[in-house]
Amino acid sequence: MTKPECNGKSQRRFISRRDLLHQAGEGIGGLALAMLLGQDRLLAAPAEGAGKQACVGSAGVTDSPFLPKPPHFRARAKSVISLFMCGGVSQVDTFDYKPMLEKFHGKLLEGKGEVTVRQGYPGPLMKSPYQFKQYGKSGKWVSDLFPNVGGVVDELAFIHSAQGRSVDHTLSSYEWNTGSIIAGFPSVGSWVTYGLGSENQSLPAFVVIPDPRGGPFTGASQWSSGFLPAAYQGTIFRAAGDPILDLHPPDGSLSLEQQRAELDHLARMNQNYVEAHPGISELTARISSYELAYRMQGCAPEAVDIDSESDETKRMYGLDNKISEPFGRQCIMARRLVERGVRVVQLWNGAVVNQNVDTWDAHNNIVDNHGRHAMEVDKPIAGLITDLKRRGLLDETLVAWHSEFGRMPLSQKGVGRDHNPGAMTVWMAGAGIKGGQTIGASDEFGWKAEQQIVTAHDLHATMLHLIGVDHKRLTYHYSGRNMRLTDVAGELIPQIVG
Amino acid sequence: MRLPSRITRSWIGVLSAWAVAALSLLTPGSSVLGQRPQAQNVTAILAKCQQCHGETVQMANLSMASRESLLKGGNHGAAIVPGNAAESLLYQRITGQVKPAMPMAPFPALSAEEIAVVKEWIDAGAAMSGGQQVSSTANQAGSTEKSAGDDSLLVFGSYRERKITDVDRQWWAFKKPVRAAAPRVADERWNKNPVDGFVRAKQEEKGLSAAPAADRRTLIRRAYLDLVGLLPTPAEVDAFVKDSSPRAYENLVDKLLASPHYGERWGRMWLDVARYSDGTGYEYDYDLEEAWRYRDYVIKAFNQDKPYNQFIVEQLAGDEIDKPTFDSVTATGFVRLGARVFDRDLENPNYRFDYMDDMARTTLQGFQALTVNCARCHDHKFDPITRKDYYKTLAIFNTFVEHDHPLVPADEFTRYEKTANDINAKIKAINQKTTALEAPYKKELFKVTLAKFPLDIQEAFNTPEEKRTPGQKLLVAQVSTVRVSEDDNERPTKIKVNDADERTRKDFEGQIDALKKQLPKRPPVAMGIRDGDFRFTPHTPFQPGTTGGITYENFGFKGKYLPSPGDQYEPPPMYFASTGLGDFADEMQAPVIEPGFLTVLAPGKTAINRPVNAPYPTSGRRRALAEFIASPDNPLTARVMVNRIWYQHFGQGIVTTPNNFGKMGTQPSNPELLDWLATEFVQQGWSIKQMQRLIMNSETYKMASAYYQADSLAKDPTDQFLWRFPVKRLEAEIIRDAVLSASGDLNLEAGGPGFFPPVPKSIVTGASIRGTWLLTKDDPSTWRRSVYANVKRNLKYPMFEVFDQPNASLSCERRDVTTVATQALTLFNNETFLRQAQHLAARLQREAGSAAAEQVKLLYRITFSREASARELQQALEFLKNRAAAATGSSAQNAELGLSPMGELAHVVLNSNEFVYIN
Repeated sequence: MTKPECNGKSQRRFISRRDLLHQAGEGIGGLALAMLLGQDRLLAAPAEGAGKQACVGSAGVTDSPFLPKPPHFRARAKSVISLFMCGGVSQVDTFDYKPMLEKFHGKLLEGKGEVTVRQGYPGPLMKSPYQFKQYGKSGKWVSDLFPNVGGVVDELAFIHSAQGRSVDHTLSSYEWNTGSIIAGFPSVGSWVTYGLGSENQSLPAFVVIPDPRGGPFTGASQWSSGFLPAAYQGTIFRAAGDPILDLHPPDGSLSLEQQRAELDHLARMNQNYVEAHPGISELTARISSYELAYRMQGCAPEAVDIDSESDETKRMYGLDNKISEPFGRQCIMARRLVERGVRVVQLWNGAVVNQNVDTWDAHNNIVDNHGRHAMEVDKPIAGLITDLKRRGLLDETLVAWHSEFGRMPLSQKGVGRDHNPGAMTVWMAGAGIKGGQTIGASDEFGWKAEQQIVTAHDLHATMLHLIGVDHKRLTYHYSGRNMRLTDVAGELIPQIVG
Repeated sequence: MRLPSRITRSWIGVLSAWAVAALSLLTPGSSVLGQRPQAQNVTAILAKCQQCHGETVQMANLSMASRESLLKGGNHGAAIVPGNAAESLLYQRITGQVKPAMPMAPFPALSAEEIAVVKEWIDAGAAMSGGQQVSSTANQAGSTEKSAGDDSLLVFGSYRERKITDVDRQWWAFKKPVRAAAPRVADERWNKNPVDGFVRAKQEEKGLSAAPAADRRTLIRRAYLDLVGLLPTPAEVDAFVKDSSPRAYENLVDKLLASPHYGERWGRMWLDVARYSDGTGYEYDYDLEEAWRYRDYVIKAFNQDKPYNQFIVEQLAGDEIDKPTFDSVTATGFVRLGARVFDRDLENPNYRFDYMDDMARTTLQGFQALTVNCARCHDHKFDPITRKDYYKTLAIFNTFVEHDHPLVPADEFTRYEKTANDINAKIKAINQKTTALEAPYKKELFKVTLAKFPLDIQEAFNTPEEKRTPGQKLLVAQVSTVRVSEDDNERPTKIKVNDADERTRKDFEGQIDALKKQLPKRPPVAMGIRDGDFRFTPHTPFQPGTTGGITYENFGFKGKYLPSPGDQYEPPPMYFASTGLGDFADEMQAPVIEPGFLTVLAPGKTAINRPVNAPYPTSGRRRALAEFIASPDNPLTARVMVNRIWYQHFGQGIVTTPNNFGKMGTQPSNPELLDWLATEFVQQGWSIKQMQRLIMNSETYKMASAYYQADSLAKDPTDQFLWRFPVKRLEAEIIRDAVLSASGDLNLEAGGPGFFPPVPKSIVTGASIRGTWLLTKDDPSTWRRSVYANVKRNLKYPMFEVFDQPNASLSCERRDVTTVATQALTLFNNETFLRQAQHLAARLQREAGSAAAEQVKLLYRITFSREASARELQQALEFLKNRAAAATGSSAQNAELGLSPMGELAHVVLNSNEFVYIN
């Protein structure tokens, strides 16, 4: 992979065909630029309603930080969908079945070393308030919280031994998003788009769809580009209204026709400027960026136009139910975006505005909290997996589901559970991963990961591998060394990549 | 040992000193193999592996220091099978047959010849002459001192500190700058200013032609945007163009350097380095309420042209200097401004280590361009900085406690504190009465709450205490903490009480309100630091003393959080390798590391004197570090700062990695120039303005950017050697300021708490901030200069965010310039910028009258500081005509934001390349 130059000349990073022309001594003529603009003009059509053809692929863009770059080796998947359950999902009440908890309900967790919880002090062991059943050919045990996901277990590979380093929401969210528990590091999505660019030049390469109720802990720093160029930060798509901030001018202020006339004049002015300053690719890139923005005005709403989906599809994602509708919309958007070549989509369930209610942070009451959130996401997630599969997209899409940590097998305040970075369940699907398997194990109570502990670095290394990137070779020079998403660690999970 | 001068840095940039020295041993015929005339010494090849697999560091538990250790192998088994290279892991790795291939990036792969030597050596039995060791040059070079047994080198557990030697000190950045006379060049134009001589000589060497001088209109716009970040008015442009004085340009530069807006522009550059923010970041992003005083301090320091050495000392140790001032204690905000979790920090001792890491990293990257942070867990892989050096640096910061320095005379602040404490004590007493009043009600409510719990929990409560099982005891303890007076979000709600009690409670509330009104206003304070002992941090709302923290008293430590005058102050010890993650009882077994400077810069023991004039006991550690950095003898300090100045003026540095002058940074493109500037900087009394005067009066700075020369472009496409003035995109803040200054709307109110630019409510309500974000209107109150906008770590003003404003949690050495569609969307569609276009059009109408041609001409003068060409004028008029024709047929517009044809033209201009670039 060509590593973009990063030391101080980032503005000269993207050498375009036009630069090459200059370097050959031709200089940019008005003609070449007019051709470029003419081409863009044609491509700008969709905003004017001429169909969606121009919303896919490179759309004639030759100069952008998001042009597709070759992978290190054959990629198993083209896109990534990350489903982040904000607040901490209890593994022992969902996918990590622990019959021993029934037996030891009300007893102390003893003889296992010091038990540290986030708030106060630990309570006794608590059985799950939910029943578990076996699903699919694999016979995977799943609790009553996830009957629909239960229906697709044979597509999912469960990891019961994920383990993080911090008992804190923010720090562990950083860890699973950036590999570091310190603020300021680039997110997985930023690394991926930095490494691979995007298949679609008319839409952002890395899209984040937060819970409509609000953002997660620390908000945008969870999809920040950190020390990578800012272009690689996640772009928020909102689930209602215009998906992107400032996608359109305020109502009635500037018509599409006015925009077009302005952009034509802008291109003329910029062309004069480019002619006076030949050989500087960022100047021509800026011209393209306006045409791309203009196209995006049409392409982005089209990409998330859920109304155009069939009723059957909408039902499949749970849009017919008030509780599951919001996440269902997020999931349909995700499918539509990866269908159009967007490289990374991250969906969040959980918003911190009303932390104990709106996130999975079930300190007070597992049933109240998880009951609600599972209903929000169960149907939509099953719908997403099924829909991707029937459209033939599942094989080329990596879906990863997790949280920032698991929860304690102990009770808190009677019927709640406190944070537990010691064991979390992660599942992955698509990308040709063998479904129905269970990887690693937590101890008999689900307190700590015990067999085949999987760290965030391991998960990230594996995710990168599946999209054709060697985590040790994807580097960016910063702060005196070649930084990696996986720092100096990261082992591939053999059952996933095998 | 002298370095062979012909060995220059390899393209990959990681040939560290030991490798250079190893290569220098390779002379033909010196091979131990002796069979092949060109053969290289296998030990010299294996020396390349020592950094990661040597005596000091054994990655994957493999040492390659001796034949025995190679046979012993590491995690993946034996490294060599004598007599069989093909079966040897070492051979398989260096050939890439087994991944990962070795040496690992960023080290270059071995050459085919080197691989052949290793193969031959293994196949021949992998013999080493008696007792032969492969050693890294760190040890070879320091032949007078041996690593083992050297008392000054730390050995602890598996850690063996590497020896820093004179070879390490040969790196360019560690040698004192050498001032050479400026070269004389053929063209006299370049012989007047020493800067030009250095630049032109390099151009001649590279065969580059230089651009002619820019015209005056270009120059004045460039100088304004560069120095004050605002557009010159058309009148100022005209006056400059007509000024016949030979000193016209010099006077212009002087005038701009004296402008109060200069600091607003240049202070921002430093705020990037200082990772400035008004919020704590992490989960809650609480307000750092007084941080803005540090921001104003920086702006003022630039405006006053505070000598840079003084600027350094004040920021690191403004509280420890002989006569601290309100300014100097405010400056210590530099140390305190990093991101903070600010939640149960006492329970998580590791947080403090992360904070100190931030301090050490920001200080040494910011002032010394060294990445000491790389040595947190092991000796630096590339630069001569040991892990012990890192802990020596941490020991300097380990004395810090956060402190709000009063910005009023001490007795006034004492009076305030006494009055406030008295009133607060009364309030507390009344609150206790309220609590007592509510207690019986809470007890009743709890019964109701308990009835909702599962039966086994109720049973636990009903079981007499002495008969409860251990599990039941825990349950009762847990459930007893359930507060009955809170909603789902643990927000307290008011408990219902009977009418008589309600009257009493109301009365209490009335008393509290009255007392609160009596609370005196808190005098201003500076958010800084001072020395103290963090181990005795009092418990506060942010630092609740709950479980999990370390009770240092239990380990026999005695001390005081803030030592008073006359107290014996013993700084808390810094234990080697401690991270706050381990058990303190274990961590404190490690050797105590004394504070000190980096060995490579300051060999020997660091002498630190206690300041004698300080108003309270303080260690003097930060002051010693500050004075060491601010010394004219420090080889890095002046170079680092002149490089930042150069970077800001030319959009690229002489060293393109301003925070890293180590081996993983880049080398100076013009070392003689860098050294000359660095020595000049010191000679000029560390005056930043003087350096700018010098640079801006150079021919190099005055060159045109609109210049094309095919041969030069081919030879130097990135303009590294400045054969033309590089166009630079304005920073996010300056784009916004320039737009506001074009429309005439800019509100120049300076200083004070940050303002909040208007954003949609939805992005604020969804944000993870418990600090303030005021929803504001797009009106004069928010049309202030961008440097005064509140900087949150968890929520950026979206326009700043898309235009590459850096992450405020890490020191930023240089702004990225990315070009993406969301920038176009923001500038083209955002309400603020539409309104500004409208206001700009109104200004044209006001100032140029109703004739369209006159308005267009004025538009060009305001925004581009130049006249519109005939062609541009004609194209603009054509645009206006077409737009007017189209508008007659268009539907009703948003009266408030609709654009007239002239508004549309202004909107286009504000979006144009020429507007957002410095030419």
